[in-house]
Amino acid sequence: MARRRSPARLVIALSIAAVLAVFLLYTSIAGGSTPSLQPSQLAGHDGTVNLAGRVVGEPTGSARGDGLRFTVQDLKGTATVPVLYRGSVPDLFRTGRDVYMRGALQNGVFVAEPDSLVTKCPSKYSSK
Amino acid sequence: MALLGRAALFLAFGLVVYAALVGGYAAWRGRRRLLESARNALVAALVATVVASAVLLGALAAKDFTFAYVADHVSRELPTGYTLAAFWSGQEGSLLLWLLVLLAMGVAAVAFNPRLTRQVLPWTVPVLAAVASFFALLLVFVASPFVTQAAPADGLGLNPSLQNPYMLVHPPLLYLGYVGLTVPFAFAMAALASRRTDERWIVVTRRWTLAAWTFLGISILLGAKWAYEEVGWGGWYAWDPVENAALMPWLVATAYLHSVMVQEKKDMLRVWNVILVALAFALSLFGTFLTRSGILNSIHSFTQSSIGPWFLGFITVVVTASIVLILVRLPLLRSRTRLESLVSREAAFLYNNLFLVAFALTVLWGVLYPILSEAVRGVAVTVGAPYYDFFATVFGLPIVLLMGLGPLVAWRRASLRALGTSVLWPAGVALCVGVILLALGAGSSPAGLVGYSFAAFVLAAIALEFTRGTRARKALGSESWMGAFSSLVGRNRRRYGGYVVHAAIVLLLVGAVGIGAYGTTREAKLAPGDSLAVGGYSLTYAGSGQRRGPNAQELRARVLVSRDGEALGMLRPGKNRYFAEDQVSNEVAIRSDLLRGEDLFVIADQFNGDGSVFLKVFVNPLVNLIWLAGFVFLVGAAVAMWPDAREQRRLARRFAEGHAYVPGYTRA
Repeated sequence: MARRRSPARLVIALSIAAVLAVFLLYTSIAGGSTPSLQPSQLAGHDGTVNLAGRVVGEPTGSARGDGLRFTVQDLKGTATVPVLYRGSVPDLFRTGRDVYMRGALQNGVFVAEPDSLVTKCPSKYSSK
Repeated sequence: MALLGRAALFLAFGLVVYAALVGGYAAWRGRRRLLESARNALVAALVATVVASAVLLGALAAKDFTFAYVADHVSRELPTGYTLAAFWSGQEGSLLLWLLVLLAMGVAAVAFNPRLTRQVLPWTVPVLAAVASFFALLLVFVASPFVTQAAPADGLGLNPSLQNPYMLVHPPLLYLGYVGLTVPFAFAMAALASRRTDERWIVVTRRWTLAAWTFLGISILLGAKWAYEEVGWGGWYAWDPVENAALMPWLVATAYLHSVMVQEKKDMLRVWNVILVALAFALSLFGTFLTRSGILNSIHSFTQSSIGPWFLGFITVVVTASIVLILVRLPLLRSRTRLESLVSREAAFLYNNLFLVAFALTVLWGVLYPILSEAVRGVAVTVGAPYYDFFATVFGLPIVLLMGLGPLVAWRRASLRALGTSVLWPAGVALCVGVILLALGAGSSPAGLVGYSFAAFVLAAIALEFTRGTRARKALGSESWMGAFSSLVGRNRRRYGGYVVHAAIVLLLVGAVGIGAYGTTREAKLAPGDSLAVGGYSLTYAGSGQRRGPNAQELRARVLVSRDGEALGMLRPGKNRYFAEDQVSNEVAIRSDLLRGEDLFVIADQFNGDGSVFLKVFVNPLVNLIWLAGFVFLVGAAVAMWPDAREQRRLARRFAEGHAYVPGYTRA
């Protein structure tokens, strides 16, 4: 049997190349991912980031009115940042919970995007 | 009783280790009697695990808070159904479920193929036992469900979001899927180790793989349904790592189910199939790791859970062992045939495989990247829905297109002209549907329009295949149309079952596009008597009230719904405050219009002191097709799995040479 070169190999090589091309295209256009920071790391980041940390102190205001205001602290540290948030408040949100939101620092206040607030499950539960 | 549970698990651990070591030695040296002993040890381990599970179940049913596991997951007020479901709501219990299902499936797979696992693939038992050893090890030494304590007054209760009927069935089905993938993996590795690299292991495990894949698929949909009703953000799939954990092995198993047909028919892709089966199994382990290790719970700190490193270690061992075994046996895996043309059925399968695996790997990258980035660079990042949506479209649309094209292409070598002729009809239908939808105003979302045209193309191609086949059958004999149709499907169960599954995927696509591209949403603060109009519906807030449920205080808004002046009844969205768990949980209200496939989805986001309420309302068109797809998927899978005496006879003849292999099934 004459051993021709298999087109399967060509197909696989071409598709891997195509996948890589698409991947590069995507990461260059959309940027792929958003940095995820704690309050102490916020300084120097102008753009949109994800803020992660623990809620400390009593939240004030209304998320449906002029905004919910609360303070977020490093998970292992003392740095804090004030947060202004509007939109849906998750069921699990309260003082002491680990939270996560998208937004940007404006004049020392982290202004979160509406509806971006997410709480992490308290440690006494497994994730699912 | 906890002592009995611990003893049973310890015994099971000893037995599976014995089965792995002695079975391995027996398979290596060809010792029949020792292999028999290893098999019996596997059965005995199953019995011991059943005892351990019964102890845990009994402790849950009795709400025996001296068991730390029971106290951590159950409270006095928790209803019985959810109390028993707490078996799999925690880490230790789910590991026990894994072991139980694994041993039950392993023992069944060995029992159904007695001669094969005894003579041809003696490595099956030791491989199964080795996997079981890992889980037994965790259960005995790292995460025991039988830790005792002084009983507290009340348990911590079950996470309210898990108190949903779907959570009673979703996790066990998911585990059936995950664990089911162990069976083809064990047979594949046994085939390599036993130097039997022909397609027999594939044929024997075909139904196991199909069953595991079906369970996995259904459990993904059940999880989506749970998320839709219980998490209640208005969507059904959010690319959460926990969801992706089940999607990845399902995608790879889907690829595998297609590529095995190429190996069976053309004896190609041998190496590829072994790789896929190992990848699917590794991903199912990784899925368990993701959902169980707590790595996702922590935002910044790397996993604090005790089982995380163990799982990573085991996954590394499995991946390394598979790679080494495949490399060592590479000469045996060389195919004798080659791909003859880029336009052929086998080539279409190859393309579909590449897209499916590429998609699975990009999802894997999206899940891994945040973890790796934090571990390596110390910078945590998140990969959001846009990343996944992009790749779901880029890889998903070609897959959908291939679903329509593939069945129309001939094996070996197809002419482009013939393909063009057979594509004519479906393409015409797709074009018509596209134009009609455009005229109806579906152009508001170009992506949705493309998705629907593709969906029409596939459905038309499937209909064409069914009509052609039925007509050919009819021409053969003087049967009625119904008779011709049923004999067509009956004689080619895999093929036509597969088409039905394709139709289910299309339904899913139509539903997903409906909710994703054509949904509407509005939110407003309403005082009693106020109304809100959205998507043809009119909602009037009539006030709120509360009552005491079995384990929660239930606050509900009364919302009157009407459409075109016609009253449609009342919806009661609200919030539950759970006592023992000290948590509030949103309870959404959904009105499904089954005729239109549309849902009216209402969230009472905030109850204000002045009696007003903040409502968030979604109109989700065609979303019910997603759930309908689940039923169609089940039907298709059942058709493809249904025992077929004719096929078994054919296989018996095919494998008659050498060691006689007679499949367990004979027609009654």
